[in-house]
Amino acid sequence: MNLFTLASRNVYRHRHRSIVTTLAMAFACTMMIVFAALMDGFTIGSERNVVSMNTGDIQIHQPDYRDDPDIYSLIEQAGAIVEQHQQLGFYATVRLFAYGLMASDESSSGVQLRGIELETEPTVTDIDQHVMTGQWLSGDDPHGVVIGKKLSKLLDVSLGDELIFVGQTADGYMANDRFEIRGILKSVSAAIDNGGVFMSNTMLRELITLPKGAHEIVLMRHDRTTDLAAVTAQVKSRVGEQLEVMNWQQLMPIINRFIETAHLQTLIMMIFTYIAVGSVVLNAMLMSVFERIHEFGIMKAIGVKPQQLIVLIYIEMFIQTFLAVLLALGAGSVLSWYIQENGLDMSSLADGISFAGLAFDPVWYAALTSNALMMPSVFLFIIAAIAVIYPAIKVAVIQPVEAIHHQ
Amino acid sequence: MFKPLFFCFSLFSLLVFPSVQAVELEVDRVKTLLNAVDDLWRGESSYAVTTMYVKTANYARTMKMEGWSKGKEKTLFRVVKPLREKGTSTLKSDNHVYTYLPKTDRTIKLTSGMMMGSWMGSHLTNDDLVKEARLEEDYTAEISFEGERDGQRIIEFTLVPKLDAAVVWGKLELTILADGHIPVVESYYDEDMVLARTIRFTDIQQLGGRLRPAVLRVVPADKPDEYTEFVYEKLSLNVKLKDGLFSLSSLKKR
Amino acid sequence: MKLNLLAWRNLWRHKRRTLITASSIAFGVLLSVTFTGAGDYFYTRMIDAGAKMGMGHITVAARDYNRAPSSQKRLQSANQHQATLRELPEVSSVIARIQGQAMFASARKSVGGTFIAIDPAQETASNNLFIQCLVEGKMLETVSDKGIVMGVDLARKLQLSLGKKVVYTTTDVNGDIVSAIARVSGLFRTGVSEVDGGLALLPLQSVQTVLGYESDEVSFIAVNLHDQRASHVLRDSLQQQAAFQDMEVLNWQQTQPDLAGMIAVDKSANKISQLLIALLISAGIINTMLMSVLERIREFGVMMALGMSPRHLFGLVMLESFWLAVTGLIIGIIITIPWYLYMFETGLDLTSAYGDDFSFGGVLLDTVFKIRLFKESVVGILIGLFSLALIAGAYPAWRASRIPPVEGLKAL
Repeated sequence: MNLFTLASRNVYRHRHRSIVTTLAMAFACTMMIVFAALMDGFTIGSERNVVSMNTGDIQIHQPDYRDDPDIYSLIEQAGAIVEQHQQLGFYATVRLFAYGLMASDESSSGVQLRGIELETEPTVTDIDQHVMTGQWLSGDDPHGVVIGKKLSKLLDVSLGDELIFVGQTADGYMANDRFEIRGILKSVSAAIDNGGVFMSNTMLRELITLPKGAHEIVLMRHDRTTDLAAVTAQVKSRVGEQLEVMNWQQLMPIINRFIETAHLQTLIMMIFTYIAVGSVVLNAMLMSVFERIHEFGIMKAIGVKPQQLIVLIYIEMFIQTFLAVLLALGAGSVLSWYIQENGLDMSSLADGISFAGLAFDPVWYAALTSNALMMPSVFLFIIAAIAVIYPAIKVAVIQPVEAIHHQ
Repeated sequence: MFKPLFFCFSLFSLLVFPSVQAVELEVDRVKTLLNAVDDLWRGESSYAVTTMYVKTANYARTMKMEGWSKGKEKTLFRVVKPLREKGTSTLKSDNHVYTYLPKTDRTIKLTSGMMMGSWMGSHLTNDDLVKEARLEEDYTAEISFEGERDGQRIIEFTLVPKLDAAVVWGKLELTILADGHIPVVESYYDEDMVLARTIRFTDIQQLGGRLRPAVLRVVPADKPDEYTEFVYEKLSLNVKLKDGLFSLSSLKKR
Repeated sequence: MKLNLLAWRNLWRHKRRTLITASSIAFGVLLSVTFTGAGDYFYTRMIDAGAKMGMGHITVAARDYNRAPSSQKRLQSANQHQATLRELPEVSSVIARIQGQAMFASARKSVGGTFIAIDPAQETASNNLFIQCLVEGKMLETVSDKGIVMGVDLARKLQLSLGKKVVYTTTDVNGDIVSAIARVSGLFRTGVSEVDGGLALLPLQSVQTVLGYESDEVSFIAVNLHDQRASHVLRDSLQQQAAFQDMEVLNWQQTQPDLAGMIAVDKSANKISQLLIALLISAGIINTMLMSVLERIREFGVMMALGMSPRHLFGLVMLESFWLAVTGLIIGIIITIPWYLYMFETGLDLTSAYGDDFSFGGVLLDTVFKIRLFKESVVGILIGLFSLALIAGAYPAWRASRIPPVEGLKAL
């Protein structure tokens, strides 16, 4: 008789046992898939969070701008650089900054005015979707501003309230205008929360009399899988030596280190999960073979060769594992997909979550990557194969008589 | 950032000198001399028209303003030119400082956070302004040089901040002409006695009934090509001013 | 009692199977102790460090101070309140502080920042993080000291070194601008850039004079506790007291929402991981018990035919699960104790992985990974383990009790 047919019949004949074993493995594998998807989601999510909220992949400044944000440290050819990179397949935008005093009826505070391009900023970052109350900027409302969360508390203002800005124009005059609060942001970063005032680039240019140039160019890759360091080097060679080109990993080394160590931690957690899964699968496979030694003894007694027995045991294992993986892939992807779409909302646990001055999205999304599906499935086969080595050899070498009397 | 407009008054009033408590004759003389310099600028009240020129690496600008003062504690300033800043006025009354912004029709009270940066693009900081009335308490003065220098007979004073004085400088040096007690130059040094900025007084002419320097130029030591210059076009001392002038409501009047 | 003995014997009829399942339980114990212990240790460290950076585990402040701090909002009769708070057994130290925004200026530069005015007599390394972080010079010595202790980066921005003058300008109790001078007496480095670049410590009495405060007026009283976990209950009880009616009593979650948020998320991620592992272990238990029930259908059939009730059979399998859990627990304890002791005493030095300026939610941390279990956590792990084993055993036990005697005899 064909060994494969025999194996399937065996699996079917012991269907209670097979179902229990398969379900245990499927469950373990499902857990691994969900866990891997959560972990990948965390890594991808935190990078996306860091990059898409404000920083972007790559920023270009005058070399000394980040140290000393001087209003005159302008990138003169900003428009050309942006256009060039948009053609090369980047999302690109420019930003303009100015510092001054913002006064409400109640109090006043030093602020950073952030002039952003209304059309291109949303292609680079998701800041426009991060409004807590009110609305994002609009071209129809040049005097409407969106301000940081803590700044709104500091100034004791709410939506629709009036703010007066006092500062200095680029040509040395007093910059002064009246603005209305159009939106208040959720937590973004310490700097933006405490003093960020967003307005349109055009408005800010007019306010501080700075007709051209920009303080910051932000680039975002279309394809996030490309090598960031290499892309940064290419950008650097295009814009030339006199400008500073940095990617987010260089701009925020602490966050980068945090994400790297978090990734390491997820790997450790993964190993623990695999060990737990390993013990379940090992036990399940051991049981399914050892408890049938009696039966294998009889087979040996009627002349089945040891090699054939080993192959038979492996085929049975393979059938069960295969079914388990199918089940797990189904259940795991459905569960992970659900968490990917809906996320685990942590916001009930806390108001805002920030790390090293940077706010994190309180919703934890899974990411159903091919890795998250592949690794657990492959692991399940490997651990099952290892688990039956010992019983298979035992069956192969055991004397039929002994086997028949085996408990 | 933002800065009150009566700065030029403040600068002149830097010359309002320390009360000196010691008993020696020398000390009495210092006091007499410095009071004489002080008398050049200070009356019971004053009215002045001043033009400010600022030159930096990035821009050059001109601003004309008029100002009133009464005693040490009350000052009011109003921008006359250019048009885009016309009507901007600043009031200092005792310890409070307010600015009226005509473009937004709002009055803002100066807060401690607004003390840094330049006012109207000039090279001056707010520090001196707030300290104006306290100069006498803050420094001890002595004559550090007397005699001929560069063909002029001068007296040089060195002012050292008192131990508890809220002053960032290490010392100030003031040079005056021995004749007429007209100031020539004032130098500010940091704590390591490195020159930080210089104020030069030039163009001595009849102003408000006396010979006084009409031009005052501030030069930061680290940017010798930049300056802020104040030119007095008109000065009258001991004019009659009502207390009501120095109130929030008069800030808005044009 | 006989049922117990029977269950125990049944368990050891399949030594290998029992040992593997028990080992997975033991492994679960080890993991749970590690994760929970790391959490208990890590969170306490963070909360304590956060408390030592300014506002304590519990903060007693003037009304509305926390929402919109200003020098106008001040706490009166601080001395009296401090005395009251010191009486509480949970409290380790009670310190009065003034906190505010100021512009710090040297002849070269001026930089905006935060000041904390302290009474050096009340502050020690155990309630003030900056004392531990002092890298140059010395701490303030008296309440009317002329010194200022600031972050190294703030000093660098102002181009200042020890002994140099700083003028700080702030808003006094009437909203007027006031300034005063201090000389740099010490520099600290916490590693948290916002703190090192924007915070300075000033002597309490000097600041009171500058701000126009009375000698018993401060911004808030920072209360440090022996055990941070008491903060919630203690805050609630203080809020009820008449003495604190017209002020605000806050716990660290309210004064440091960022930190609280970070901990909450980390905790929940930790719990999700533990839950997954618990599910895996219970899958193992179900698998083992179900197998052992399935292969004993005949045996159970015989037992029932001999008069054993389904309820007894159910109990028998449940007892087997119970003893399996006990075995797992014993193995778990044996492997966990040396690990726990090592991690409790020595820990893993992760400095090379994290660097020596690791901060979390704006709070500086040391990077030695240690574990420390609270008593409640031990109880939690034990309860979790046994409920897991019993819940996992319930289905196999129910299956066993449902075997009809005759069918049981027919089977195989």
